[in-house]
Formats: sequence, structure tokens, C-alpha cells
Amino acid sequence: MGSKTLFKINNVGFSYSLGSQKICALKNLSLEIPEGNLVTFSGPSGSGKSTLLNLLGLIDEVQEGEIHFLGEKFQKLSTRKKNRLRKKKIGFIFQSFHLVPVLTAEENVAYFLKRQKLSRKEVKKRTREALEIVGLWEHRKKKPLQLSGGQRQRVAIARALAKKPDVVIGDEITASLDQKTGREIMDILSKLVKNKKITVILTTHDSMVQSYSNLNFHIQDGELIETTREAS
Amino acid sequence: MSLIFLAFRNLFRNVRRTIAIILTVGLGAGALFSFEGFIQGIQDDYKDSTIHSHYGNGQVNTVGYRDTNHDEPWKHWITNYNELEDHLYELDGVDYVFPRISIAGMLKSKTTSVIGQGQGILPAYEAEFFHSLNIEEGSIEQRISNGILLGKGLAESLDVKIGDQIKFYTKTIKGKNNSGKFRVTGIFSTGMVDYDNRAFRMPLKKAQQLLKTNRIETVSIGLSDHVHWKDVADSVEDDFYDLEAVSFAVLDKIWYQNSMDWLNAQFRVVQIIILSIVLLGIFNTISSSVLERKQEIGNLRANGESGIDVIRLIVVEGFFLGFLGAIVGLSLTYGVAKGFLHEGILMPPGPGQSKQFFLKFEFNWQMLVSALSLSVLSATFASLFAGMKVCRMSIAKALRSY
Repeated sequence: MGSKTLFKINNVGFSYSLGSQKICALKNLSLEIPEGNLVTFSGPSGSGKSTLLNLLGLIDEVQEGEIHFLGEKFQKLSTRKKNRLRKKKIGFIFQSFHLVPVLTAEENVAYFLKRQKLSRKEVKKRTREALEIVGLWEHRKKKPLQLSGGQRQRVAIARALAKKPDVVIGDEITASLDQKTGREIMDILSKLVKNKKITVILTTHDSMVQSYSNLNFHIQDGELIETTREAS
Repeated sequence: MSLIFLAFRNLFRNVRRTIAIILTVGLGAGALFSFEGFIQGIQDDYKDSTIHSHYGNGQVNTVGYRDTNHDEPWKHWITNYNELEDHLYELDGVDYVFPRISIAGMLKSKTTSVIGQGQGILPAYEAEFFHSLNIEEGSIEQRISNGILLGKGLAESLDVKIGDQIKFYTKTIKGKNNSGKFRVTGIFSTGMVDYDNRAFRMPLKKAQQLLKTNRIETVSIGLSDHVHWKDVADSVEDDFYDLEAVSFAVLDKIWYQNSMDWLNAQFRVVQIIILSIVLLGIFNTISSSVLERKQEIGNLRANGESGIDVIRLIVVEGFFLGFLGAIVGLSLTYGVAKGFLHEGILMPPGPGQSKQFFLKFEFNWQMLVSALSLSVLSATFASLFAGMKVCRMSIAKALRSY
């Protein structure tokens, strides 16, 4: 387990409107996420775990409190800096994969690398490496629709890994998969955390996913209820 | 992999949606293009009818003759007609040269007498060019030397029909009485009742004999294409200092130009309505298709693409779709107009006309460019609008959208 703090969250609050109703998704939530861990946020639907994940991934704006990422305060970052962090430092894995359907597995992984203006050689190297880690190099020429759900999720993981991010964030990534495939995905992520020292943060309902985590935050009604640390 | 490459690949992602957009843009571009072609067809046909009904492409008179009332008009008629004719036939585009003189007098049938104002012309020769003169009965050609064509109202006043004889009384240029016998060979109408009530046409030679002159009042010119008019007019005025050449549009200003202006004003209103419907249709289809892709856009942004880059991607896609749709629509429209409808659409008689006619779609590059650019611009602008709308959403909200 790494000792450096990746995320420091202080008194974060977040609310949104649903019709005329104001929903308080997070209330004064504070926690720290050290790097090199497989971290999970568990809790029932509507508990606020996905909202917290969105804030950590810079895909929603912090309303109250502070979030620090590697010492940098999110609220102080310019839009350009946020875009750059999302492009280079944060990898995303979504429940519904969000692969570009017209691109092959290889192109899906390579696209955002090319957008980082990396050299052709570097793009090729990273793409191959990422697809080999998830065991899909043989299927690199297939488009998402020609792949199974588990394979698509593995392409999404490869896409996130190829950036060589500091953190990979995933929202309910096994929810669309069967238990066996979900386990395969978690095996890959678990190995990554161990071998590549990447921090992986996931939200989940699934106890199987939770069983892989070194650090679990149980959230309910927007509040941190329990923190569980386990030896990896 | 550039944004442009991805934008291009995205066109083939949802084939049904792409086809729907291409059809919408294509129909819109085709509607604009065909309506422009239709208007041009009407204008060209009307212009052609006017040229071929009376004036020709233009006329030559002595300078100032048309603008002044003269006590003795024949003193201002053209004296060097043969020289002018030779000169005209040497110019590019001149197919016909028609000498004419005015002649007034009394026409007498078995039952009545009517004062008329007519012209002496070369009937058989004029028949080759003035094919859109509305001949109600008989023939324009007047192949017999004493044939006469009467305006419809004049024929009715005289109560004569084809083949009947009439007598014509006039004065020579010196003021002496003269007369001749004629046989009615045709009855024409121009749509202008006043004119038809007194107009007639007789052979030029006969008219010159009756007036006892060898001068020519007016020379009408028939061109292969009206584009030659300016050069012809300039050449006549440069080489014959006492002559002026005036286009048919000026000679027939009240009827031709006003009718054209009136028609154009109506067409413009319809065109604005069509344009609004087309642009709104394209705008709606394209922007809906972009707004359906919020999740995908959210994903691009979550992975670090800036809002500007995403908008650029969507705008490039919109441009491609607009261009592709417009090309498809314009090609199909052109193909249908020049293939399936190559003979034109049967139309009712135009203003002042008595015959139905086949309207052909007439296209030019300006119409093509205008239909193409309007379609492409509206598709591009719709993409920009929808792209900006989606990019204003938070990424999380875009990702949650369905």
C-alpha cells in the first residue's frame, strides 16, 4: 500500500435539483485516498457514491468543501488544466463501456493517446501493452459490437491504462457483466494495482468487487458510515 | 487519429440515422435547387416568348425616333437599310434581320369600316422567328403577296374570317390617297385588347407601295442567344452614328419587365417560405441527432477532450453530412429534371399568351452553389448549436443522459 495521499477530501457537500426538490447527495464528507490501492465506495443506490466518484474524476464541479488531487486543489484548476488531468492522469471505466463504436479495439485505445499528441511509436507501444495486459491483443481488429460485454469492458480498461494514469476511476463496472466475467475484470484490475502501482477507485453494490478492495468506504445518505481497510 | 478522421468514421456508425439525415438535407437542397430552376425556367420561357412574339431581341431606329412624335415620321426612317442589313449579318449571333414599317389606314369589309394601325413586314421570313405570336386562326406566313394578318379584335369588328377579302385605304407619304385589296390569312392576339382591336400586319413590299417609300422604319433583330445583344447594339451604334439599338426589355418595359417583376416578387415570397421550411427541417434533424449522443460526448469529455474539440468534431460531422446530403439531393434533382422531366412540365398559358407550354427546369452554377452552401451552412450551424448545448452540460449529466 502506497503512503502518499492521492485524494484528500474535506467537508465535501453536493446537492442537485430534481424538479422542485433539492436532493442532498453528499454531506460534509471527508476522507483520504492513499495511492496504490484498490479502493471501493460501497453503499445503496442513491447513497452518493457515484456523485463522489464524479467529483474525483473532475466530471462534476465541487460545490462545497475541498478536494485535493496530488496536492492540487480542484476548485483552483482552470478548465484547460482539468481537461489535461482527465486526458493524462485519470482513466475512466464506465458501466456501459462507452467505446467509440466505429473504431476497432486497437483504435479505441489509441484514439486518446493520439489526441495527447504522443509519437506514433509511443502510441503503438502503449496500445499493444494495454491490450496485452487485458488479454485482447488477438482481438484488436474487432469493433465493439463484435466483442462480448466482458471483452468490451476489457477494452475500456485498456483504454484507461494506456494513458498511464495515476488513478483509474470506475462506476459500477461489473454491473453489466455476469459474475465470472466480473471476476476476470477484477482480477485484471487487482493485478494492475499490485504490479503497476496504479490506484483504482470503484463504486459498487457487489460484494465480489468489494472483496478485491484494500480500502472500502461505505457511504449512506451522502455520509461516510464506515471505512474498512484490508491487507491486499 | 485526427478529429476529422473520427468525424468521417462517425458518419457510418448509425447507417439508418446517417441516411435519414442525408435524405433530409438532400430533399432540402433539392427543393431549393428545383425551385430556383423552376423560376429560371419560367423566366427564360417568358423572355423567349416575348422575344419571339413581336420585338425580337431588340430593334434599331434612327436616334430619338422612338421618343418623339413626328408630324412626318417617314422623314426619320432608315435610309441605308441595305448597308445596315449587311453589317448586322456579319455580327456574331445575328440570325435574323427584319425590316418593318408602320402603316395606318382604314380597313373596309363587306359590312363595316375600322381604322387600324399596322405594320409592313416580311411575313414568311418573320414566321421563322416569331413563332410564339399567338395565331388564333390561319397562318402567320402570309405566303400570298396580298395576305393580311388581323388582330383578333380588329377581325371581330370587321366581321371577317380567314379567306375573306378586305379593302385598305391609306395616304402616301406625300399625302395622296391610296388603297389596296387584301385577303385575310390569319388572326392573331397579343393579350393586349387595345392593341388587338386595331393591329394588322401586311407584306412589307405592299406597305411600301401603298406609302410610296423605300425607307425602313424599324429593324428588328433575331439573335441565336440574347447574350449577344450588347455587342450587337454597341456595334450598330458605333458604325451608324444616326442609329440606336434598343433591347426588347426596354421596348416592352410595361408588359415584359413589369410582368417579370410581379412574378419575381411572388416567387421570392414562396422561396422564403420554402427556404424556412427546408432550413428548419435540416436544423431539427441534425440537432436532434447530436442531442441523442450526449453519452458519447460525455465520454469524450471525460477522457480529456475539451469542449471546443468536441464541438469541432460535431461541426465537422455536420459539415460532412450537409455536404454529402446536398450533393445527393442536387444530383438527384438534376437527374430527374434533365432525365425524367427532360420534356418539361405542361404549364397553362403565361400572361399575354394563349398557348400551353412545356416548362423546363433551367439550372446554373449560381443556383447550385447557393443551394449547396445553404444546406451545408444550415447543417453545420445546427451541429454547432447542438454541440454547444451538449458541451454546456456537466460531463456527469451528459454521461447519465439517454
